[in-house]
Amino acid sequence: MSSESGTGATPVDVQRRSLLGRLRVDIYAVWPIAVMILIIIVTALRSSRYLTVFNFENILSQIAPLGIVTMGQAVLLISGGLDLSVGYNIALSSIVTGLLLEHGYPLWLAIAAGVGAATGVGFCNGVLVAQNRAHPFIITLGVSLFLFGLDTQLTGGAPVNDMKGLYTAFGGNLPPGFPFFGLPSLTIPFVIVILLAFAFLRWTPLGRRAYAIGGNEEAAYLSGIPVKRTKIYLYTIMGAIVGLAGMCLAGEINEASFNLAQNFELESIACAVIGGTALFGGRGGAFRSLQGVALWGIVLNAIVFAGLSSNYQQMALGAIIVVAVMVTRAQR
Amino acid sequence: MPVTDSVQPSLLEVEHVGKHFPGVRALHDVSLTLRAGEVHALVGQNGAGKSTLVKCISGVHPPDEGRIVFEGREITTYSPKHAYDIGIAVVHQRPQLLPGLSVTENVLLGHYPTFGGAIVDRKQGIERTRALLERFRLDIDPLAPVARLAPPERQQVAIAKALYRDAKLVILDEPTAALDAERSERLFAFIRDLTEANVGVLYVSHHLEEVFGLADLVTVLRDGELVATRPTGELTQDEVVTLMAGRRLEVVRGAGAKVAEGRKTALEIEHLQTDVLHDVDFDVHEGEVVGITGVIGAGGHEIARIIFGLDRPAAGRVLLAGKPYESRGPKQSIANGVFLVPEDLARDGLVPEMSIAGNVTLVDLGSITRYGVISLARERAVARRFVNELSIATSSIDTPVRNLSGGNQQKVLLAKALTAEASLLVLEEPTQGVDVHAKAEIHRIVRDLAAQGKGVMVISSDVRDLLLFVDRVIALRAGRIVGDTAAADTSYAQLLDLTVGAAGAVA
Repeated sequence: MSSESGTGATPVDVQRRSLLGRLRVDIYAVWPIAVMILIIIVTALRSSRYLTVFNFENILSQIAPLGIVTMGQAVLLISGGLDLSVGYNIALSSIVTGLLLEHGYPLWLAIAAGVGAATGVGFCNGVLVAQNRAHPFIITLGVSLFLFGLDTQLTGGAPVNDMKGLYTAFGGNLPPGFPFFGLPSLTIPFVIVILLAFAFLRWTPLGRRAYAIGGNEEAAYLSGIPVKRTKIYLYTIMGAIVGLAGMCLAGEINEASFNLAQNFELESIACAVIGGTALFGGRGGAFRSLQGVALWGIVLNAIVFAGLSSNYQQMALGAIIVVAVMVTRAQR
Repeated sequence: MPVTDSVQPSLLEVEHVGKHFPGVRALHDVSLTLRAGEVHALVGQNGAGKSTLVKCISGVHPPDEGRIVFEGREITTYSPKHAYDIGIAVVHQRPQLLPGLSVTENVLLGHYPTFGGAIVDRKQGIERTRALLERFRLDIDPLAPVARLAPPERQQVAIAKALYRDAKLVILDEPTAALDAERSERLFAFIRDLTEANVGVLYVSHHLEEVFGLADLVTVLRDGELVATRPTGELTQDEVVTLMAGRRLEVVRGAGAKVAEGRKTALEIEHLQTDVLHDVDFDVHEGEVVGITGVIGAGGHEIARIIFGLDRPAAGRVLLAGKPYESRGPKQSIANGVFLVPEDLARDGLVPEMSIAGNVTLVDLGSITRYGVISLARERAVARRFVNELSIATSSIDTPVRNLSGGNQQKVLLAKALTAEASLLVLEEPTQGVDVHAKAEIHRIVRDLAAQGKGVMVISSDVRDLLLFVDRVIALRAGRIVGDTAAADTSYAQLLDLTVGAAGAVA
């Protein structure tokens, strides 16, 4: 699964490592997979209903919107930034789309407006972060609070309950048989975003600039990298990804509301960090972050199968975050 | 002031101290005696061993040979905390204080007077601080936040903090590098008050005027060895410069003086003026290596920043290949063929987690990108070419640069300059902190770059090293050019005289 490097910033790192060296690194890099396999085995032994296609489709559709956001969040973390406004920005995009649909606008226009609104917020985040010396934590937190107010103002607190064509698109499953095997519809945008994030970080100058800025902003600047412009691009891309996640989530559950994606900001950061993306920039990757998402989904689901209350989900996730940070430290 | 009064018992005795680092003999058989109430100056060029000696005395490094006796007792535990506890305090050029807290809180940090050990007695704390400041005639508000104090006042606060904890020996490490004349004068008055209070002062400085104005004794180090300890009254500044330079290391180059003749100029600096620089004016020709030297703060760093577009001069201009040029930042400078190798590589030059290949190609991602996609094959080809050309010692171009030695990191930066196809290179302290072998290689690379027709400007405070590979040397002092000669026509001693001695002061 992981073709990315264990420690190096650029993806070219792995290719020439010795087999032994690769194994040593991979113990750190793939521990989420090891934990996942363990959980799957234990849960499967305890419940006959666990190892079914239906259950794993369920996990997939549950995790897809968060997974999409995590890909964007990982890119920002690698560049030394982060976005705490994603939760209410997802909500904003869903609300804009939902309200337009409610008023009878065509689906394409409603989606364009919803994704456009989220992208616009991303652009604003980028400009604010690039122009200020304040940490993106506080800037995007401020934007997040602003959006919370905007979201509730737009909806009057009441959710939009019919997403019409969007529900048709994202609410169900793909056709059975080859090539989609009846997977949840959200699989398609999810997989596309994963592949794009991977390609972006590995093969584009902008992705390379993200690693450089996150690794050493001063050195990046002295190397002629347009630091401010790069940040604006990255946050704008994040906005577009968030808009897409908003469409997915609103379509999936057929609702647009201000609390559509609560905690997504922290959960997406947690998933990326669990996967080994550095909280303060310079290291990480798309597939690594994806491991964090997968572990997140498996744990949530396994706790339901264990017959435990959702309180235990939170406890388990909290514990995983702490372990992830310790593993990352040990790796150094 | 007790000068060599043998009745006064010695406060600090350094006896035959030696210190080795891997591949370097930093100190060898150095002895020094300092009495209470005495100012003892420690001088020497970069790499002479001053800071190593200070680190031994202050417990950072235990000496490998010899011993250090403080107040009649041999120091056996070497740690900065122990040194502080027994009364040895080091005050650095930029003292480590907590800028957000007040003067009182900094002075009393960890030793605040309390009611029964639990509640801070603010009033008494302020009073004690005020009394301490008044005793040394320091006009500083005990309630002012340290962030609002000027640099010399911060140093005074740092010293006051040491005195509050009964420091008997205060080591001042290059205290005036960041101070102007008037502020330096105030610091000197304060230091004289310290000696009145029977505190011993070890004063480490490049500035010989200060040493002569302040110290009772001066100890000269060279190449880690003790050259002389004399009362300042028995020496002239010229004699100290001669002692610092020694004789055996005067380097006179044969060729190179005529390099500039008949060549086009790569860089022209015309009458640069800033708050640090005063009417700086010189040229760098294609294929020429020009060294710029001076003590810290003399202005070399400022010139580099202006050329690279990081600062704007108040007056004067820069011409590149004969055309006026004003850069708005590194991106534009690099596009114009200028490349800066900054002094602090770890901080400013490289992305430590990124591979050698990634760092090398960072300056010109466009050249390895087609249709918006980076060609990893092309990236590797570029990186491999420069790794070979500069013989960077590494098993793979995928190694993160943080795993490389200082010399190899320096070469990765030079490889970046090659990738950027720069026609003018500005190198800041390129051989600082690298071993002898790496130095020689860097010299060779710089000469090769010049042979390719590039103009190279090397800013270095290591005069001897500079003379080994530059064509011309410009000496800077307090922001002014005090010398501009072919390397062949000058010497280490002469340059030292210009940058720190009496000759430059006259010029």
